[in-house]
Amino acid sequence: MAENSTVTLSRVNTPPAQTWNYLRANDITLEVPFVSRKGDVYFALPRLFESIECGMGQQVTEWIESQATDASYVEVRAGEKREEPIVVTGMDTGVMVRAGAEATVVVCVGGAKGSVGSLSASSAAGETGQGPSESANEANASATSKQLSTSAALVRIIAEHDARVHVLEFVAADDEVQHIESVGITADARAHVDARQYFLGAGTTAAGLTCSLNGSSARFDLTCRYLGREDERLDINHVVRMRGRNGRTNVTESGVLDGHARKALRATIDLVHGSSGSEGTELENVLILSDDVTNKTMPVILCDEDDVAGNHGATIGSVGPEQIRYLADRGLAEHEAEALYVRALFDESLIAAPTADVRAVLLERAKAVLGEDIANDLVEGLELDAVAHEED
Amino acid sequence: MSERTENRTQVADVDRSLYDFTYSEEGYERYDDGLTPDIVRAISAKKDEPEWMLAMRLAALETYHAKEMAPNWGPSIAGLDMDHISTYVSPRTKQAKNWDDVPDDIKNTFERLGIPEAERESLAGVGAQYDSEIVYHNMREDVAKSGVIYTTIEDALHDPQWEPVVHEYFGKLIPPADHKFAALHYAVWSGGSFVYVPAGVKVEYPLQSYFRLNAEGAGQFEHTLIIVEEGADLHFIEGCSAPKYYEANLHAGAVELFVKDHARLRYSTIENWSKNMYNLNTKRARVGADAQMEWVSGSFGSHVSYLYPTTILAGDRSNCEFTGITFAGATQDLDTGCKVILNGANTTASVDTKSISKDGGCNTFRSSVVVGRHAANARCTVSCQSLMLDDISRSDTIPAMDVRNATASVGHEATIGRISDDTILYLMSRGCSEAEARTMVVGGFANPVSKELPLEYAVEMNNLIKLEMEGAIG
Repeated sequence: MAENSTVTLSRVNTPPAQTWNYLRANDITLEVPFVSRKGDVYFALPRLFESIECGMGQQVTEWIESQATDASYVEVRAGEKREEPIVVTGMDTGVMVRAGAEATVVVCVGGAKGSVGSLSASSAAGETGQGPSESANEANASATSKQLSTSAALVRIIAEHDARVHVLEFVAADDEVQHIESVGITADARAHVDARQYFLGAGTTAAGLTCSLNGSSARFDLTCRYLGREDERLDINHVVRMRGRNGRTNVTESGVLDGHARKALRATIDLVHGSSGSEGTELENVLILSDDVTNKTMPVILCDEDDVAGNHGATIGSVGPEQIRYLADRGLAEHEAEALYVRALFDESLIAAPTADVRAVLLERAKAVLGEDIANDLVEGLELDAVAHEED
Repeated sequence: MSERTENRTQVADVDRSLYDFTYSEEGYERYDDGLTPDIVRAISAKKDEPEWMLAMRLAALETYHAKEMAPNWGPSIAGLDMDHISTYVSPRTKQAKNWDDVPDDIKNTFERLGIPEAERESLAGVGAQYDSEIVYHNMREDVAKSGVIYTTIEDALHDPQWEPVVHEYFGKLIPPADHKFAALHYAVWSGGSFVYVPAGVKVEYPLQSYFRLNAEGAGQFEHTLIIVEEGADLHFIEGCSAPKYYEANLHAGAVELFVKDHARLRYSTIENWSKNMYNLNTKRARVGADAQMEWVSGSFGSHVSYLYPTTILAGDRSNCEFTGITFAGATQDLDTGCKVILNGANTTASVDTKSISKDGGCNTFRSSVVVGRHAANARCTVSCQSLMLDDISRSDTIPAMDVRNATASVGHEATIGRISDDTILYLMSRGCSEAEARTMVVGGFANPVSKELPLEYAVEMNNLIKLEMEGAIG
């Protein structure tokens, strides 16, 4: 019989190089549900996936593997341009994009239990392992001071040479949800991976992504947009290992923090010995709307090669007085101007959403954050109804 | 320009013998290696300290033994074994006010380093420490008349006027429990300087302390305590060097700087420890309202460094500028940077650092910028540029920012790269050899730092760069 309990994932989501521990910016500790799976047979991913470094680290990988029902493996054949997105529905997913193929991988979490979209979990901890597919991805767990239901996704992607992979991650859940998302990607020669992350809500969002550019001339582009409000907590760890020659990495992160939100973002570009000719750039812009916000930013460059270029930058601040005056001249009060930035986040995420299900998740969150009227404006402005109908 | 500096403007005129010479320790007082309460009591008794200082030392020793090193921190210091380090080595001489009263071997050491000459030409006062004790201390009469106190902490502790002041400030900015090597420092500290600049006094020429560690397998634990009262102004220079041994040496000093309202302090350091040195130094400044703290830091020596000068901008409208350069060559792993804490409203900070890695040397730049809740309109910019001179060296940049105020503005930028081939080709087409071209580019890269230094030190820094660049080609 399954025994339900909680376990602590201690100091996870760590970057390769760390800063002073007293700043409490190096990691996050999470309390997560644990259901004993003694006697179950776990159908894991092919061994090849074990070597992939995932953003939140090995401890999280092992916990998710211990809690998932079975792993889900998807393969896109060499040269295939797969139109239909691969929507991640389980806790443990492996995607193999063969040489010259193209695919889109989507992870979406929303709703009151993190259950909308790809993660269709509906059961609590005691019920994990009962369904044939996805019920293990949600459980009731105590995290911080209040009861949060936990959802989790472990996604490992192999992009063979000349492959093109698009990764889309959406987290737009209610405050009662703690979402854990660990992604690992490897890219062979000339593979091009672009990832877009939209972290727009959840009591706690802990997300890590590691991309290893193993082959020469591989490329990785990452855009991360986030919103933290009320008592939400965001902990993000991005790591790009540039191993092959002439690799290119471009990471941009930006977001808005309000209320008592706490955010830590760690972004590391690791120019490994042998990556000559490579260039990596990382930039973060943070807009802070409240004095009760805690924003921690840690942009790191590790460089073990001379013929490379590594750049990073970060700007942290509020809406400038000139911008406020400009908008005031056009009839917008300060709070309305600030709301525009939040609205823009949802606007962008809706444009990026690849399916009607994902859009529905985002719109539900937009209604909760911006109000029904503005959410309807978004729908009209983007002509989303028409798109949804067409898909129906 | 002095003859000494003139003579050293050519690479050919600079060699390691400038720093890598040593004299016998015969006749010196040397305490047993290791750390015991008896050694701590002996150091305290030797200095005839007040009871509170002995109690502080013994408590710090306990803290040192109790504290663990963070397992996720920087370069390894596994080669440092305190059981093989003597914490107190002293020549049997008294502190002198005249160089003629300093024993010949020690006087020769400082003369070769150019200290007496610099004192004559451009300094308001000099303190020279040899191993664990200050052997020479002097200050210009006119500066002394203005009420400036520049002495050793030991002497201040024996002065009824200054003992309460030392008691009030000593160990307050860097508490013994701050980290393991701060605790070690407070257990066995010896030597260093006490500077007090009265309100409104502007010291026109810099004061300088030079620290020389001659003994093998020894530690230097000097404590510098500077109080710049309201509206006062001081430039303090710190220099340090040691000859090279194959046994580990340790430097674990502490620098506490109190810059009161409307005051200004510039603290310049050229550190050129030998490459068997573990340089685990702690520096911290607290800055009052409308006051200014300027750091200029050049790190060239040591085997391993942990060095992160900290500035606490406590007063409104206070300001901090940090300018630093680190040069890591073969066998060096230098973990340097700075920390700024902006607590006052309308505070501003600017950090500009450069690092150069060569011959397998490792550089790590770390910074932390913390903006407190009450630091309305605080502004901070951090710029870090790293130059890689070959493919066996390493350079890491690890900044952290913690911002808790909506009106604050914090910016950070960093770049890592190498000298472009186009630049070298351009210079070579105009008659430079490749080695000259590279040295020229590195010199230009370091120029923003050297121009902040007093002339003597700028020349020394440029020569160190040239010296380090020797053999960079082929």
